[in-house]
Amino acid sequence: MLEIKNIRCSIIDDDTPILENLSLTIHDGEVHAIMGPNGAGKSTLAKAIMGHYKYQITAGDICIDEESILHLTVDERAKKGLFLCMQDPTVIEGVSNSEFLRTARGSITGEKVNLYTFIKDMETAMKDVQLDSSMLHRSLNQGFSGGEKKKNEILQLKCLKPKYILLDELDSGLDVDSLRIVCDNINQYRHDNPDTSVLIITHYPRILEYLKPDYVHILKDGYIQKSGGIDLAFEVEESGYTNIHAASGDEKSE
Amino acid sequence: MSKVLYVVDSNEKKKYQYNITEDTIIYHFSINSSCEVDINLVTEGVTLYYYYNNINYDNNRFSIKVTHLKNHTHSELFNHGVNVGLKKLDYYVDGIVPKTSSECVCNQENQIINLKNGKSTICPILLIDNYDVDSNHGAYIGKFSEDKLFYLMSRGLTFEEANRLLLNGFLINMDSVDLNEIRLFIEEIEKI
Repeated sequence: MLEIKNIRCSIIDDDTPILENLSLTIHDGEVHAIMGPNGAGKSTLAKAIMGHYKYQITAGDICIDEESILHLTVDERAKKGLFLCMQDPTVIEGVSNSEFLRTARGSITGEKVNLYTFIKDMETAMKDVQLDSSMLHRSLNQGFSGGEKKKNEILQLKCLKPKYILLDELDSGLDVDSLRIVCDNINQYRHDNPDTSVLIITHYPRILEYLKPDYVHILKDGYIQKSGGIDLAFEVEESGYTNIHAASGDEKSE
Repeated sequence: MSKVLYVVDSNEKKKYQYNITEDTIIYHFSINSSCEVDINLVTEGVTLYYYYNNINYDNNRFSIKVTHLKNHTHSELFNHGVNVGLKKLDYYVDGIVPKTSSECVCNQENQIINLKNGKSTICPILLIDNYDVDSNHGAYIGKFSEDKLFYLMSRGLTFEEANRLLLNGFLINMDSVDLNEIRLFIEEIEKI
């Protein structure tokens, strides 16, 4: 279970809160979606959960299975099962995809990775996400198209087998076919690992049609103002965030 | 097919002089050395790729001068250094295109990563005396980007593992390099 307990979050050395009094509980196996206008703090929330260096949590707590993770480093959080699928994955020249993934898998599992097994696994996973096998030997995300970068994030997910998946605007930069492919892979992953929890951050309901969240939350002004089912996403699509807020009033909870 | 040269120097002061008459790639790996490199592009239309990769511990200086003596010549310099300690590492990188050479390309990219608080300097100089030349330079001195470290660590790599990957990628970033030619340099990376 991933719990966000009444957190206050700001940029390091700046006390102005981006998130305030934000709470959210994601039980094992649940899929939650967060929608909100630009600048509402959606990506900040995902990065803060992962322990990004630019953000500080000045109040509240974030827990995995009732244990606080705030004191953990980024890699320790990853080893607890967190995986942040980034909106704009970082390009790292000179570090090959395969070298990176093999090192990462060794770090996560704490075991030496057998090269043969690793290559066989990656070949299968690359077919699943429809990435050319040559991408494995290229520098990490260098020269990748927007779609290839997102597919590469899903490849990493399949390789590292996390329990808590944070999808930060996975749908940005993806055409309809690529979106279907990455969503099919996430759904298959959830089917194979039913305890996996997913937090989707998005602007558009289309991805939610594929991933079928149990809950949809509207994040605005730094906290969750309304929660509901997938219908809430379509309501936003039709009426916009201003009307949703005016119609619903504040609900400062999950 | 380009001619390929490997140069490895370790704890020495060296001078190199090349007259480039055909398309050439030079891989220069340097451990704690001061080097002075003088290159002339002497045949029309030739292309030079120069990859300088350097691990530094003491006060050292790398200077390279590329002079385009013929038309349509092309140079690309990639100078990457890691300054391990607190000493000085200086790069002086000159690209020269005289008025008599036209339609040349003269580019350079320079980066020094300071692992501690060493004093590093890059002086990129482009002396271009012709209007039809395509010429660019870039220079960066600093640490490895925090975004890169965050990305790697978010996949479970420790800070040390992430730094090690970045170090290897920064110092050996050419797919085409023959690792057997640079064993000494690879062993030195492992010691950092």
